[in-house]
Amino acid sequence: MQDILYIAMGLLFFAVAVAYVHGCEKLKGSTPDE
Amino acid sequence: MTLNGMLQILVYFGVILLITKPLGAYMAKVFEGEKTLLGRVLRPFELLIYKLCGIHEDEDMRWSTYAVAMLLFSVVGMVLTYALLRTQGMFNMFGWNPQAFGGKDMPPDVAMNTAASFATNTNWQNYVPEMTVSYFSNMVSLAIHNWMSAATGIAIAVALIRGFSRRSAKGIGNFWVDTVRATLYVLLPLAFIGGIVFIAGGVPQNFLPYQIVTTIEGAKQTIAQGPVASQEIIKMLGTNGGGFFNANSAHPFENPSNFINLLQIIAIFCIPAGLTYTFGKMVGNTRQGWAIFSAMSAMFLCGAIACNVAEQTGNPFVAQAKVMTEQTATQPGGNMEGKETRFGIGASTLFATVTTDASCGAVNGMHDSFTPLGGLVPLFNILTGEVIFGGVGAGLYGMLMFAVIGVFIAGLMVGRTPEYIGKKIEKFEVQMSMLAVLVLAASILGFTALSTNTTYPPGATAQTFDDKHAADEAKLPTLASWNHVNGSTPSNYEGATTNNTNNGGAHGFTEIFYLYASSTGNNGSAFAGITGNTPHYNVTGMFAMLIGRFLMIIPLLAIAGSLAAKKRVPESSGTFATDSGTFVVLLIGVVILINVLTFFPALALGPIVEHFKMVLMKPPI
Repeated sequence: MQDILYIAMGLLFFAVAVAYVHGCEKLKGSTPDE
Repeated sequence: MTLNGMLQILVYFGVILLITKPLGAYMAKVFEGEKTLLGRVLRPFELLIYKLCGIHEDEDMRWSTYAVAMLLFSVVGMVLTYALLRTQGMFNMFGWNPQAFGGKDMPPDVAMNTAASFATNTNWQNYVPEMTVSYFSNMVSLAIHNWMSAATGIAIAVALIRGFSRRSAKGIGNFWVDTVRATLYVLLPLAFIGGIVFIAGGVPQNFLPYQIVTTIEGAKQTIAQGPVASQEIIKMLGTNGGGFFNANSAHPFENPSNFINLLQIIAIFCIPAGLTYTFGKMVGNTRQGWAIFSAMSAMFLCGAIACNVAEQTGNPFVAQAKVMTEQTATQPGGNMEGKETRFGIGASTLFATVTTDASCGAVNGMHDSFTPLGGLVPLFNILTGEVIFGGVGAGLYGMLMFAVIGVFIAGLMVGRTPEYIGKKIEKFEVQMSMLAVLVLAASILGFTALSTNTTYPPGATAQTFDDKHAADEAKLPTLASWNHVNGSTPSNYEGATTNNTNNGGAHGFTEIFYLYASSTGNNGSAFAGITGNTPHYNVTGMFAMLIGRFLMIIPLLAIAGSLAAKKRVPESSGTFATDSGTFVVLLIGVVILINVLTFFPALALGPIVEHFKMVLMKPPI
């Protein structure tokens, strides 16, 4: 049970990191270069 | 400062200076796909890997694809490492586990902390390696990350360089190709030669069980050994730092002599220094690389000298106790607490500076025992984001981030749109740079604040329970287990997370602050003096390491993608020369200013107040 909990914690972080990539990409899209 | 200390710094720096250009030029060839001498031997293996893994060598990745590939590579490695550590007892064949270590020696929280630690190039170790980890686990689940995380760091740096060197490009390279090339052409040849030299120098490389010997006094002593050399060389070259033994590079098997000690610190800096030249070469102006090298060198030399002076000056309390603190022909003087007598103050302070300038984290002396200002130097080095040569790849991409901020500030001062290497630095690049800076600061300061203010049951005072009091232990609330020391006998519940430190007051605060600085900075060196093997410290440390690695890399890859898509602006009379001495001074100023503004209050609460208490001869608490 604890193994699943800790693996889930690790996977959760990477899911957040992928969302972070997406967020940065969206920010780039909304920030046109001069 | 002694002549010995000064000579060690100068000789070491001279060697690094000599290595930088040839190694940097070689790495530029490797990552630009040009033919190299080693290519004749290694190219067939490279092509075989691409074929087996289905990698298309010519495929160019957008920055977001590159980032997701890097994340995927890391998460798979991390979960596999966790699984292998938890099941290490199943791999006992072929002499891989002569001490019969099992999964129970690696409880889930410390196994996950370790998996994240090695996947992020941190190598923080909340366990005693020689009493916990089998040879199989060392070689397969841990040492492999020493290679892969280092190769990943180099790949990210090269991707960022391409951001500056390419024009109107959609892609920044191929993550898989860069990682394979970094491993095959850079790490493997250097580690092979270095490993052989280490073995010749006395570092063990075997699969023998631990030996029980009788000491001169007649006591029994267990001598741990194993495949040390193969892990030791990549630990240094890859700026990983995780020791085969708990004492790390202070252990005579990991670091048998002053010659091997010198080789170890050369191995730490050689690739990060070489990458500055690679940068210059790939952007078409080697002076740009030398400018970055100069900024790094100036900060390194200042740190190395400051640390040496602080330790050689020593502690007035020791002098008051009638212990001679002056250097003589027969004793080193200064502060020798926590240092190997084989290395003395010169080699210990140089090692401490190098290992924290880089994101290595190997230690040959205990930083916890340094004087307050001597300990401040390694801590400050880590807080810069380890951009003083830094981790393999990580140092360069971190410094380029500060360069972006530097030219932005310079642009604000003169009222021009900032440019760096012919690329306009605009809103998005500055946003991403600041995001990377702020993420690191938030992790370090946030987790430090949390761990200086959290109290689990049984409360402010720690409690221990032996077998006779197991019934009382069972009455504790479940929450108490979050600060229970794994494997402690008698069973130890620390309660408040400040109880985990060996010292109170300013020094205890520094122990906690250093832990999160080292974790977030992916350094991995321990200030020591803190019992970190509890679920609280394992989990918060794990998140600090993951945040410090990946939430910093992603914005930098976004910068790479944004810059690669831009055209190159021709130089004009108004262009700020970023290969000049002025830029070097500006860059150093930006690194120091940002870190002082961010961390001064915390440093004032820790080593700075401790220093003033020491010189004023006040009790530490």
